[in-house]
Order: sequence, then structure tokens, then C-alpha cells
Amino acid sequence: MNRLGHILQIGLAGLAYLLILGPTIVVVIVSFSAGETFAFPPPGLSLRWFVEFFAADNMTGAFLFSLRVGATAAIAATVLATLAARFVVRQRGATSGALQSLFTAPLVFPAIILGLALLLFYRTINVGGPAGLVLAHVLIGMPYAFRLVLASLQSFNLTLEEAAQSLGAGPIRTFFLVTLPIIWPGILSGGLFAFIVSFGELNVALFLTGPGYTTLPIEIFGYLQFPGRQLIIAAASTMQVALIIVLALTIERLVGLARVGRS
Amino acid sequence: MPSSLTGFEPAPLGDFLRRASSYALIATPILFFIVFFLGPLLYLFVVSLLEPSKTELYGTRLTLENYERILVDDFYHRIVTRTLLVGSLVTGTALLIAYPVAMAIARMSPRWRILAMIALMFPLMLSNVVRAYGWIAVLGRQGVVNSVLIGVGAIDTPLAMLYSIETVVIGLMTILLPYMIISIANALTSIDRAYSEAAQSLGANPWRTFIHVTLPLSSPGVAAGMQIVFFLTLSAYVTIALLGGPRFSLLVSLVYRSAMAFQWTQAAALAFVLLTVALCVGTLIVLVLRPGRVQGRG
Repeated sequence: MNRLGHILQIGLAGLAYLLILGPTIVVVIVSFSAGETFAFPPPGLSLRWFVEFFAADNMTGAFLFSLRVGATAAIAATVLATLAARFVVRQRGATSGALQSLFTAPLVFPAIILGLALLLFYRTINVGGPAGLVLAHVLIGMPYAFRLVLASLQSFNLTLEEAAQSLGAGPIRTFFLVTLPIIWPGILSGGLFAFIVSFGELNVALFLTGPGYTTLPIEIFGYLQFPGRQLIIAAASTMQVALIIVLALTIERLVGLARVGRS
Repeated sequence: MPSSLTGFEPAPLGDFLRRASSYALIATPILFFIVFFLGPLLYLFVVSLLEPSKTELYGTRLTLENYERILVDDFYHRIVTRTLLVGSLVTGTALLIAYPVAMAIARMSPRWRILAMIALMFPLMLSNVVRAYGWIAVLGRQGVVNSVLIGVGAIDTPLAMLYSIETVVIGLMTILLPYMIISIANALTSIDRAYSEAAQSLGANPWRTFIHVTLPLSSPGVAAGMQIVFFLTLSAYVTIALLGGPRFSLLVSLVYRSAMAFQWTQAAALAFVLLTVALCVGTLIVLVLRPGRVQGRG
């Protein structure tokens, strides 16, 4: 009986992984198609849709814009997250709890409402364009960076900082010469995660992108709403999959992905 | 550290400066969150209470009519009901699939468990538009399912599977499923095996042990997983638009369309209806599962 239960569980797990990963694998395979239209299995293999992707100005423009937004937002989010985590790790009880809830709130808050609120706010104060999107992505990426930096500070021995300061180092020198060399994997992973979140983000970007400053996911969404030329999207998706694999492997090397999932 | 031993006595002024600079450093992220998170949300709430205007972003008179329109109109009732239906179906099926899978993961050796978790984390890092496109590639007219069915001669003309509520539920459920599995698997691996061993040594069969020991102890993970899957379903405009088609609407679609039609006050009110739905369902999940019972967990 128990044995049968275990076999059922394994079978169900296989099905779950197939449902989760299968569709994306199909897209990656189809992106190497030599055919003119979508067909599975592809009639032959080629890189023609990647060539088309790089020849399409709007696609490469959106890709480069996404990279720029992601990098800028990730750096700002990591700096803010490090400032916040350095303070929070020294607090106890209610202060620590309240600040942790504040800085991780964008994680569970419906992002579509945040996008609408920011759009309206920007319209009222007459800010717009790429800067508004970057600021929104700083906000969305910050919880991830905050958690990772906080986790690495929690396993960091704070008496090391006290030792440095009692020997006469100022707070800035202490941070850069003592703390940073030890917790940098957490900070770098936090930054990479903030980049990944920004790079794939849709709900806020829906409201805050516009002509001339469209991110790659929004550009793909635009293509998908109208039929035709779908294979260039398969190529764009494969580009994203490849980039995320590289970044995910880097984070795995630095702090371990499974640990990130636990926090 | 006894400062008399090192001969280092922090001067009162230096101490004050250090504390002041530490507050100045935390002030930056807090200020950022007030200006770009709490402030705009409060502003959006105020706008939802203002009368619409044809020339400006909103009028000046305070009113509840934006909410009244949603409360009295049958159209909005149908949309809210459908939103709750899709949210419950997605969360419910995800839970039914995720729990046994999480149990299988929790039993794995640490090495395999890490690999299983990475395979779940990776798709979460991809953009949802890519994963929704995956389902178009599988279920579309020229998709994998139709090609296979035509290939084996089961059908002659492709089935129209996209643009239906079933496809929206399957798509959202599979896109969000990793959150549920990860959340429950983490809860299950943190349960001390001694509890279930104690129950079994006292004569409980595996089924009773599961119902009375394992299931309640995993409730924090179940509650967290259900909340995140439900909340993300509420926001998933792009997935809903791609798999449900242009005529399939949930609350989030109305929020987006009102904003694109410059009906700011209406969009604001709809956004807060959506937030209310999220808060009510989130609270309901906590009340039913009572994750707070498990010691040391929220």
C-alpha cells in the first residue's frame, strides 16, 4: 500500500515537472526551426530566427533596453537593500519585524496595482520615460536583494566589525575592508536576482513602458497579440532562457539556489 | 568587549555621530519606499474616491460612485465571480498536485532535493510571457497537441483549445505551481521526523499520522503557497490575455483596460476592489489553516 503510494507520488512528480518545464522546452526546440511557420517537431534545424531576431531593430532595441534597465535597477536595489539590511540585522523585535515587512512588501503586493499607482503618480508630477520604469523596478527587485543580503549578514560575525572599529577604522573603511570581503557573495546574488526580476517583469512594465522604451517581455507580448512571425518570438524566448541559465548557475555557485528558495 | 582593556573609550560625540549616521543610512531606503510605494498607493486610493473628469486626470469632488458602479452592475458581479472561480481552481489544483510532489521531494536525499528545487526555481526566473508562449506552442492550432493528434489520425482539423477558461486555468496553474511545491516542500523538510515516528510507535497507521501530525505541521507552507499562488493569479494580466483571448476578462483585465482608456478614477476603484479580494481570500486561508498553531512560525 505504502509502496504504491510512493510510486504514485513519483509519477505525479514527473507529470508536474513535465507541465512546468515542458512548454518552455518546446519553445526552445522550435526556435531552432528551419521552417517558415510554427511546426512541431521542426522540419529542419537552423539559426535563421536568431539572425532575424538580431536584424529586427525593435527586438534588439527592447533586448538592450531591458539589459540597461535591469542593470541600473539591480545596482540601485542592491545599494538600498544593503543599507536596509545593515540596519535591520542590528535590530530586534518589533523594529526588525516592521522593517522586514516593509522592505519585502512588494513581493506579495499585487504588482498590477503598483504599476497603476506609479503611472498615475508620475503623470501628476510629470515624470515619465525610462526613469520611471527603472525606479519601479528598483522597488520590485529590492525585496529579493534585501533577503539575500540580510541572510548573509545574519551569518556574518558582527564582532568582526566591532574589532575593526575598536582598532580605529571608521564605519566606511570597516564596511569595505572587513564586511564586504566576507558577505560579497550574498550582495552579488542579491543584485543578480534583482536583475532577473526586472528582466522578466511584466505587470509594472505594462503601465510604464512606451514607444522607444519597451522592455523585451512587453515587446514579446505585443507580438503575441497578433498572429504571424511567431518564430522570432521563440528565438527571443530562447535568448532569455540562455541568459537566465547563466545567471542562475552563477547564483548557485555563489550562495546556492535552493537556499534562496527557502528564504 | 571591555573597552578599558584596549584603552579605547568611545567619545560621546563620536557615539552620537555614529548613531546619527546609522539613522541617516536607513532613512534612504525608508524614504524611497514612502515616496515610491506607500505614497503612490495612498494617492491611488484618494483618486478612487474622486469624481471622474473629462479634461483632467480626475475631478475635485469626493464621491463613492466609482465603487457604487462596481457594486450595483451585474457585469462587474460576473467578473468578480469569475475571478474568484479562476483563482480558486488555480490554487486548488496547484495544491492537490503540489502536496504529493512536495512529499516526494522531502523524502529525497539532500543532493537530489537540491536538484529538484533548482529545477523548480529556474522557471520562476523566466518571464511569464515566455512561459505563456510555451502553452500557446503546446495548445495552439499548429501546436504540439494538435500535431500529435493529427499525426496519429485521431482528428482531421485542429482543435481550438486556446481562448478558453480551461486553458487559462491550466496555464496559470502550471506557471505558478513551483511556488506551491517549493513552499510545501520547505515546510515538510523542516518537520522533525521524531513526531511521525512517535505517532506510529503509539499505534497510529500512516494515514492517521499524516492527517493528525504531518498535515497540521506543514500548514505554514501550505498557507504561504496558497496565498502567493492566489495573489499572483489576481495580477497575471498578460497570461490571462494571451491564453484567454481578447474577450476573456478577469478583474485585472478591467483595471488595465480602464487605465488605458484614461478612466483613472474607475481604474483606481477597480484596483482597490482587487486588493480587497486579495486581502479577504488571504485572511480566509489563514483562518482555515491556522498556520500560527505551528510553533515558531508566523
